[in-house]
Amino acid sequence: MSGEKPLDFTKEITSKLGGETIARCYQCGTCASTCPVTRTTERYNPRQIIRLALLGQRDEVLKGDSIWLCASCYNCQERCPQKVEIADVIYALRNIAIREGNIPAIYTEFANGLMSEGRLAPISKFLEKKRADYGLPPLKPTGVEAIKKILAATGFDKIMFKKEGTPQ
Amino acid sequence: MEDSIKMAGEEKQTENKPEELRIGVFICHCGLNIAGVIDIKELVEFAKTIPDVVYVKDNRYTCADPGQEEIRKAIKEHKLNRVVVAACSPRMHEVTFRRTVSEAGLNPYLFEIANIREFSSWCHPSTPKEATEKAKDLIKMAVAKARLLMPLQTIEVPVTNKALVIGGGIAGMNAALDLAEMGFKVYLLEKGESIGGHMAQLDKTFPTLDCSICIEGPKMVDVGRHPNIEIISYADLLNVSGFIGNFKVRIRKNPRYVIAENCTGCGECKDVCPIEYPNEWDMGLGVRKAISVPFDQAVPLVYTINRDYCIECYKCVDACGARQAINFDQKPEEIELEVGAIIVATGYDIYLPYDNQLYGYGKYTNVITSLEFERLILAAGPTGGKVVRASDGQKPHSVAFIQCVGSRDTNKYPYCSNFCCMYTLKHVVQLKEKYKEDIEVYVFYMDMRTNFKGFEEFYQRARELGVNFVRGRVSRIFEDPETKNLIIHAEDANLGMPIEVEAEMVVLATAAIPKKGTEDIARILNLTRGTDGFFMESHPKLKPLDAPTDGIFLAGACQGPKDIPYSVSQGCGAAARAATVLSKKTWKIEPIIAIVDPTKCRNVTTKCGICAERCPYGAIKAEEKKPAQVITAMCHGCGTCVAECPADAIQQMHFTDAQILAQLRTALEKNPEDKILAFLCNWCAYAGADLAGTSRFEYPPTIRPIRVMCSGRVDRDFVLEAFRLGAGMVLVGACHLPYDCHYISGNWKMKARMDALAPMLHKLGLTPERFRVEFISAAEGVKFAEVIQEMTEQMRTLGRERIKAENEKLRPVLENMLKRKEKK
Repeated sequence: MSGEKPLDFTKEITSKLGGETIARCYQCGTCASTCPVTRTTERYNPRQIIRLALLGQRDEVLKGDSIWLCASCYNCQERCPQKVEIADVIYALRNIAIREGNIPAIYTEFANGLMSEGRLAPISKFLEKKRADYGLPPLKPTGVEAIKKILAATGFDKIMFKKEGTPQ
Repeated sequence: MEDSIKMAGEEKQTENKPEELRIGVFICHCGLNIAGVIDIKELVEFAKTIPDVVYVKDNRYTCADPGQEEIRKAIKEHKLNRVVVAACSPRMHEVTFRRTVSEAGLNPYLFEIANIREFSSWCHPSTPKEATEKAKDLIKMAVAKARLLMPLQTIEVPVTNKALVIGGGIAGMNAALDLAEMGFKVYLLEKGESIGGHMAQLDKTFPTLDCSICIEGPKMVDVGRHPNIEIISYADLLNVSGFIGNFKVRIRKNPRYVIAENCTGCGECKDVCPIEYPNEWDMGLGVRKAISVPFDQAVPLVYTINRDYCIECYKCVDACGARQAINFDQKPEEIELEVGAIIVATGYDIYLPYDNQLYGYGKYTNVITSLEFERLILAAGPTGGKVVRASDGQKPHSVAFIQCVGSRDTNKYPYCSNFCCMYTLKHVVQLKEKYKEDIEVYVFYMDMRTNFKGFEEFYQRARELGVNFVRGRVSRIFEDPETKNLIIHAEDANLGMPIEVEAEMVVLATAAIPKKGTEDIARILNLTRGTDGFFMESHPKLKPLDAPTDGIFLAGACQGPKDIPYSVSQGCGAAARAATVLSKKTWKIEPIIAIVDPTKCRNVTTKCGICAERCPYGAIKAEEKKPAQVITAMCHGCGTCVAECPADAIQQMHFTDAQILAQLRTALEKNPEDKILAFLCNWCAYAGADLAGTSRFEYPPTIRPIRVMCSGRVDRDFVLEAFRLGAGMVLVGACHLPYDCHYISGNWKMKARMDALAPMLHKLGLTPERFRVEFISAAEGVKFAEVIQEMTEQMRTLGRERIKAENEKLRPVLENMLKRKEKK
């Protein structure tokens, strides 16, 4: 096995919000068998992600797209017999991945949209026309300055800007 | 539990006649073990200068016969009334020298050891001068305690040589039989109608597949016929009072509405009874008559009428005829027994997973528990041994077994239930051997635990029979509403693939859980229960069969899930343990117990009862408006109550406040700011310090240790007094948390007390490092040496001046605190 010492990565995860419970896992597979995503694709299996993480397979876990496929339905977390907060562990892993620049392009788009427009989804001409057709008022500008302030206070902007210009 | 018997000799313990003190000090060379480092001549000269010491003698080996003879001679010739031996650890030779002094007519408790070998010569070989100084302090401390020693009488209580066994399962039956064979009278109390327990419900036993009732039945008959065993069945335990050797037990016999003496067990009444109701013995799968026995092999073979179902047609009365065994007017009857020892063998229950929505038990008809399966495959069971589905009465062509239902689940029962892997293997082997190719069998498991004789081979047999083992926990079961088949969702973790399996029947291997009523038994007998709800043993390794209360023993699954051979072994073991009590005419108790001064006890005027609440053994009774009372035979002498008492109304014999304070003050007479004053519990920290000595780990000679039986004895006043007198550092050494304490929880009580004290001292300006609580096991000699080394370095870094300054600042506050207490 390659990678860093298993314990170092485990410690890193457990020190993150949401990642505290990962080491309780005894690999029963309740999460995988209850997961609606795992049922549709082989690319996501929460049990395997936890296994790889506990074995210190840092790159395998953080660089792939696997952790980004979780739909956050929390079925696994509800049913885990060891009270591993699986969905939250996945969030912790995503947070680590983001800080290291492993962000799928779609999330960079979301983030940039949020910071420049104050919206996750961009407003297209098509959308505005549709709204008019339905008799909805045109969208008001968002309080983008306030959002920017909040994002700056949380340090979100720094994480994202660091990656700006680097193609995903 | 309560008790009102006053111990003989209790008054004697507290009286202390004023007399002229004549202390003899005997200093041992231990060959060169002590004399090679410590200057014995200097010690002898020093000892002569200590007030009240009238005789000093050094011996090459004090523990050898000539050395002991010198002590005996000196006691007589010099009229010594206290003896101090400066030699090795009291854990080594305290008992030896107590005997020596008592042979010379002195009370054995008028003797004290100064441990100058393990605590000085062996651990400070490169600083002989300091080692000698420390030895002087140790001797002076021992003399200080010796001055205040009181003669104590060993307490003896009579023993009733009868036993009570609670629970008539396989563990309780074996316990009863062994005790009966040893010649003791045994009362076997059973809540149900028959003895036999869960084993009587089983078809086969793993891994040999012998028929369960064929091997248990004869044992049940043996129990029923044994002249020394009296079975009290269909009865409840109401109350137990008293203590080791002298328990009083109150039992309620519930009415069977059948007179046991007249019932012949012929069953003619059952034949005419028109009413049937679900038989709980068959897990409700079969039926029994309103007058019946739960199963044919029942012992005692006495019928019982279930008045919830009986329509009082009196056909049974007619059928019984001249035997006149039926009596509808029977009332509950209370009886009282006296026994010397009690064995608790109340067993376990099987978890019925009605609350588990995901597996559908109780909702889907073809999902059953393993115990239900057991009744189905049993030839004498309700289906005559045919495995059939409840939905259509047909034999299933595929059966899935699901392991760890409730067990190993932190949302239900976090522990492993021990025997489920093996009984499921038994079931699948039975199914495969019975129906061969005609049945497909799946086992969903997380780990297969087959760790005893013949178990792994049995697992192999199951695999060779073609059972499909799937490693993965089932997340969900659905029922096909048409076929009533079950669709099982799991992940085959070995393949890393979610799978779905359709089975015609699902068998859930559910957790073994504490027996219903365990809480009541715990309350009645003052037993402690673990977080899992099962009874706790006195020590997990060395006293696995002893309950924390003396004279009460545990056997079988009431202490945690166990299979048959393990339960049998425990039953026999508990019988042997109980016999150590029952075989004696009297039971001796070391008199280092706690005694309450009724004139000081606050409980008379206010509602206090702190001692009763903190006592790990429930040995203190604090009734309203009455002084607290220690039940001598239940007291183990930890001294926790003594330290907790807010009125200083309790004393521990041989470890009184006065004695400990005298040691403490003596230790801190000279240069207190250079010393670490340590309180070490006898079983762990003191033993760890002894080990540091025997292992020759060298550490600085700065420590002045005081031995207490349990760290729970360490009063906060001792810490305050030590700092008031200017101690450099204070250390409390205890057994490791959570379970190492030899008095159940004395270390926890000490920790709570010191956790409250430390921040207060810090606020007053004490450097935090100067007061330390450390958990040191008897095996951690290295750790002990390291702790002393570290504390010494910290003390030297702080420097005398800083310590003195801090103490100056602290003193008025401490004096005030200690004075306020004295006034009360």
